Amino acid sequence: MSFAQPTTLSREQIAEFEREVDAIRASVMNNLGQADVDHIRNMIRISRASEIGGRALLHFGLGPVSWVAGVVALANAKILDNMEIGHNVMHGQYDWTGDPSLNSQKFEWDIACDGEQWRHSHNVMHHTYTNILGKDRDLGYSLLRMTDEQKWKPRHWFQPLANLMLAMGFQYGVGSHDLEIGRYKHGAMPKEEFKARLDRFLTKVGKVWFKDYLLFPALALWSAPRVLAGNFLANLIRNLWTYVIIFCGHFTEGVAIYREEDTRNETRGDWYIRQLSGSSNLEGGRFFHIMSGHLSHQIEHHLFPDMPAHRYTEVAPQIQALCRKYGLFYNTGSLFKQYLTVMKRILTHTLPPKRIAA
Amino acid sequence: MSHSSTLTAPTRWASVINAPVVAALQHPWVESIVRLSAVEDTMSALHPMLSLTEVRARVIRVVDETASTKTFVLQPNALWQGAQAGQFVRVRVQIDGRWVERVYSLSSKPAARRIAITVKRQDRGLVSQHLHAQVKVGDVLTISQADGEFALPVQLPEKMLLLSAGSGITPVMAMLRDLQARKYQGDVIFMHVCRSPDDLIFAKRLATIAAEFSQLSLRVHFDETAGRFSPQVLVAAVPDLAERSTWMCGPGPLMDAVHQYWESESLAVPLFSVRFVGAPLLPATAPGTPVEIVCATSGKTFTTQGAEPLLVQAERAGLSPKHGCRIGICRSCQCVKKSGTVQNLQTGEVSSAPNELIRLCISSARSDVALDI
Repeated sequence: MSFAQPTTLSREQIAEFEREVDAIRASVMNNLGQADVDHIRNMIRISRASEIGGRALLHFGLGPVSWVAGVVALANAKILDNMEIGHNVMHGQYDWTGDPSLNSQKFEWDIACDGEQWRHSHNVMHHTYTNILGKDRDLGYSLLRMTDEQKWKPRHWFQPLANLMLAMGFQYGVGSHDLEIGRYKHGAMPKEEFKARLDRFLTKVGKVWFKDYLLFPALALWSAPRVLAGNFLANLIRNLWTYVIIFCGHFTEGVAIYREEDTRNETRGDWYIRQLSGSSNLEGGRFFHIMSGHLSHQIEHHLFPDMPAHRYTEVAPQIQALCRKYGLFYNTGSLFKQYLTVMKRILTHTLPPKRIAA
Repeated sequence: MSHSSTLTAPTRWASVINAPVVAALQHPWVESIVRLSAVEDTMSALHPMLSLTEVRARVIRVVDETASTKTFVLQPNALWQGAQAGQFVRVRVQIDGRWVERVYSLSSKPAARRIAITVKRQDRGLVSQHLHAQVKVGDVLTISQADGEFALPVQLPEKMLLLSAGSGITPVMAMLRDLQARKYQGDVIFMHVCRSPDDLIFAKRLATIAAEFSQLSLRVHFDETAGRFSPQVLVAAVPDLAERSTWMCGPGPLMDAVHQYWESESLAVPLFSVRFVGAPLLPATAPGTPVEIVCATSGKTFTTQGAEPLLVQAERAGLSPKHGCRIGICRSCQCVKKSGTVQNLQTGEVSSAPNELIRLCISSARSDVALDI
């Protein structure tokens, strides 16, 4: 979309908004307990059981029905592991439990993206500088032109194709994100640092390939092709699903983009407003929210990145009410509707900007 | 002794098998296939005592020692490596979703198959209240290996004094049991201080040991009837104090007084003591008071003041802790605060819990602080 309009709220109103959002946050954060731990433990159990079941069906099943079931179960395990478990645990949503296996800074997940590199590109860069052009590298993933403010280049003619490739190989897109290839090419990153980042990324890719495309197929002996294809498809399903959910979080119609100079000296209230206007939600039931890692509540997630995500459904109506009170846009809609607006943006920005007669 | 071989056999077996298995599971390439936490969860689902990394201990018996003190007799799993008399374990329990850890001295005989901790219920003690109210026979606790410098030496002196007060009796009780088991030939006085006979922990056990163990002379001082305990009372009860190597555990003020006496009299015999800070409540100093920050990993220490975030202060002191957003979002600067009181600059919350995760960029020191950076 376009740059955010200067807010009509006064400094006092923004300070009051900050207090009200803080109060909503405190009401949940002071009330964390066993139920939150039970939720994430349950998710971990389901994900593990689903992985074991899925791999068993792929290895020992006969015929296409068990193959499809195996693929679905394995994809489900990976989606849960990446979205509801990995993403949320690595945000520190369960650090308060003191459980070492839920420690944000040590968690590692089943995806071609190294946990430590993710913590940097996502937690540090994206969540701090959300939708600031030139700072938030999630804006089009340095690949797509999502707004008029990004300079058009001839490669953007291939943008619809690039989008499709990114969707299919989303885990590699996310995994290579922290390499900051662009910065390296422009000489802004020393070669040693780039090399170290590249090694880390390739090691992680090596690990997931070894597991899904070598070890498990080899263990299946004569069923190797069946397992290989199943693992590949499960990864592809996970890639497409995570891509759709994540693209709907910040690239829908009506999401605001910021200039760096407009965000200097911002208060926590300003930051809350930027997070709110830079994110968009998806509507759905409990199952849908869980499968999206509660990124369907992208707005609440960006306001409270370290709140256990299953609590977002509880605070969403309160945030929505605040938005009505302050006249702020609460961007929400069905997955279908929101994704259509994302595609519209991708396609519109494929074309070079029209020259406006002076 | 016949049973000592059966006692050590499973321990050795476990450590031989266990260490390489854990090392293999922690290898990054193995961990990406099957996580150690998944193996651990599966094992404890099969049986709560099973673990590759944690000592688990089943509660065999709960003994009411006094109205506010209970002894938990525990059967540890094969990972338990034994203890020296006087050492403690860290007990980890999950209370409303949070893992909390407290230190408890072992009161059992070091070579015993079963170990025992004795817990006094504290008025505001989260863990002691949980242990008293929730933990029943058959439950499984997670404990650490035995730890602590407060222990009896291999070579025992000729004359000894074991001095304890209140719940400080637990490590000293283990020492006494050890002396008896080692058939100590010297002369030991066990002196214990508590309020009244109702508050005497291990009353029966002490009487039994005193009857069996002729080297022991047992003295109990009840504050309620005999007046407040002081070093002078001690000298009166133990006239040859200057000749006795002493091991002591009790409340801080009492131990301070005894230490002072030792110094003022320039006593040549050694005095060993151990302190337990139940739930250490370092009072928050007013913002602006100089405080000392100890960085345990880098070995650096700096003094600072003011309500600035610890991250900024550490950087000014020449350290470069890992960090990211600097506004409390990303948790890159998260580290373990081992002790001390800090204030969260976003919520204003002041907290003193030991071994707590804090974010350096939004925490300010309100007392001396030890950090794991």
